[in-house]
Amino acid sequence: MKPNSASALRRENRIALRLEAACDFAAVRTATQQARGWLAELGVGETDLGAWELALVEAANNAVKYAPAAARQLPVTLEISCGATDIEARVTDHTAGFEWPKEVALPEVESESGRGLFLIKSLTDSVAYLSDAAQNTLILRRARSDGGAVGGFDPGQLQRRLAEAEAALADMTAELASSYESLVAMFRYSAELGAQTDVKDFSNRLVRDLMQIAEADFVVLRLLSPDGRRLETLLMLPENSDVPLAALVLTETSASVEIGAARSRQDIWFDAQEPLATEDPLGAAMPADYNGICHAFFVANHLVGTATLGRRATAKPFSAAQVNLLHTFIDFLAIQIVNVRLLDERTATRVTRRELQIAADIQHSLLPAKLPVCPPFALSAACQSALQIGGDFYDAIPADNGAVLLVIADVMGKGVPAALFAAVLRSTLRSMPQLFSQPGELLTAANRTLHSDLSRVDMFITAQVAYLNPQRGEIVSASAGHCPLLVWQPGAAGAVALGQSGFPLGIEPGVKYVPTVTPLPLGAVALLYTDGVSESRNPAGEMLAEKNLLEMFAETAARTSDTEAAKHFLLQRLADYRDHTPLTDDQTLIFIRHLI
Amino acid sequence: MNIQSKDSRTCLVTGLQELVAANANAMRDQIRAALPATCVCLELDLSTLTFLDSSGLGTLVSLHKTLRQRDGAVRLLQPAPNIRLVLELTRLNAIFEITS
Repeated sequence: MKPNSASALRRENRIALRLEAACDFAAVRTATQQARGWLAELGVGETDLGAWELALVEAANNAVKYAPAAARQLPVTLEISCGATDIEARVTDHTAGFEWPKEVALPEVESESGRGLFLIKSLTDSVAYLSDAAQNTLILRRARSDGGAVGGFDPGQLQRRLAEAEAALADMTAELASSYESLVAMFRYSAELGAQTDVKDFSNRLVRDLMQIAEADFVVLRLLSPDGRRLETLLMLPENSDVPLAALVLTETSASVEIGAARSRQDIWFDAQEPLATEDPLGAAMPADYNGICHAFFVANHLVGTATLGRRATAKPFSAAQVNLLHTFIDFLAIQIVNVRLLDERTATRVTRRELQIAADIQHSLLPAKLPVCPPFALSAACQSALQIGGDFYDAIPADNGAVLLVIADVMGKGVPAALFAAVLRSTLRSMPQLFSQPGELLTAANRTLHSDLSRVDMFITAQVAYLNPQRGEIVSASAGHCPLLVWQPGAAGAVALGQSGFPLGIEPGVKYVPTVTPLPLGAVALLYTDGVSESRNPAGEMLAEKNLLEMFAETAARTSDTEAAKHFLLQRLADYRDHTPLTDDQTLIFIRHLI
Repeated sequence: MNIQSKDSRTCLVTGLQELVAANANAMRDQIRAALPATCVCLELDLSTLTFLDSSGLGTLVSLHKTLRQRDGAVRLLQPAPNIRLVLELTRLNAIFEITS
């Protein structure tokens, strides 16, 4: 059975129905049943319903029965107009048409056909049959036997039904319009995102649009704090709400609907029947007679924040369509917030990586390109950087009378600040050549110069300076909290750690550093190093420690004959010790050997 | 629709719902085909019939003629008021035995 199409129209004091049915008996029968149902809904009485159903069936059957083959694709149309006192029907056919007889009589009693027109005539008050080139229209009228409003047709009821239909239509139109607006807004936001990464500004505009489209009078948007413990207020509209909303602590027992929504992951409604709790902080910010809804939003199952929409109690509660809007806008916002955070983190990582590169560049630029010669002493040095750039550096500065000042230092901290202080220390020491031969005085002066700058940023430097005097065959050294000088002599049982150590630079302003004089006889080897060497760890996490380093150093000194070989030997041993895992701290060392 | 023989002379048709242009000819043919040669009384149970149009009336007349040829008759059982009204309006109540 083909479907019939129908539409209801309103005319002056009448209500009308138009039905189109395919040109076959079953379809027109269905149409007449629809017509009867419609009239029944309007309150038309049973007598009239029966009469109209049969009259319409006879009229529509004729329209089908006499339709030529070419016209069977055209629909049969039924138009019914119901007034307070009468009903009119028009049945349009595409037959060849005929002339309505002046008198309609019954056929012979045993005739099997010919009663249709008689029934139509008998059941209606007036009949007219109009023909034109395209179609014919049978117009039937019948006074309502139920007297219209009495027990049946009720104009008031009709008006109410019309008002309901119009309200439903208005709601649908509004919903369609809001869906369109939200779709347009989403596209606009998406387009703006490329140039806009300020979460608050973006949220502000999105929430303002939401307020307008969802017809809200009040909005609070909160975001979860980075530590995941609190809901912090990102914005509250209207902006003239002069009561600041304190952050909510998620773990606290609270009457807050926002915390409730975040915990339950469900929207929470509030109105006059179920108002906000008196201790709910939201109540202080929003007029008491508001109703509304609080929605907690999540991304990948993680809470991002809460959004609360409020509306004056005099207005209707938020409709399902408006709640959908809230969900759509806020969930979209949640994704953007998470995206912006990820972008920020990526940017921060890039900045950090760039900073580390700068620090590494500075650190490398501080190291001497070539070590000075200082016969009969031979020198070699290495500075291996860990992944995280540290503050190690060394220097070797030619001094008077063929002497050399060796400096090895470790600035506490990482990155650019450590590298900058290493550079400052290097310049400070180099600016005092008159004190090179007095390492204790040199460190005392350097500490005096650097102390205020270092202590201001809570940094310090461990350093050892060693004045290598070739004429006297000795090392005069002083240490500011640095690793000791290791010395090995041929024939000795092992290596020894020498020298007194004072505070690191930057700890105490008035420290006097004491020099230590260490003879370095023929064949002797000395080692200056940073704690990255002695604090090397094996895969089991055990630290090398000074004792083992002394043994490793003694073996190195005994088994090598020049400083370059010694350097490579020791670095290899250190790498073996940590099983060739990456360095966790810088390793810097300087070998000094009194050549035979 | 169901057709059954009450006895060798009487057939009963039940379960009629609508007798209209869309099904009238088919009903007529179906009932005729099911009528035993000995049947001279056709009873149509109209208690379930909700709607009857002029095509349905044609079917009733046709069956009436068939039975009359056998010197028999069609009996209409318990038609609803709206069905009875159509029969009366078209004066066909004169040729059928109608029982309440």
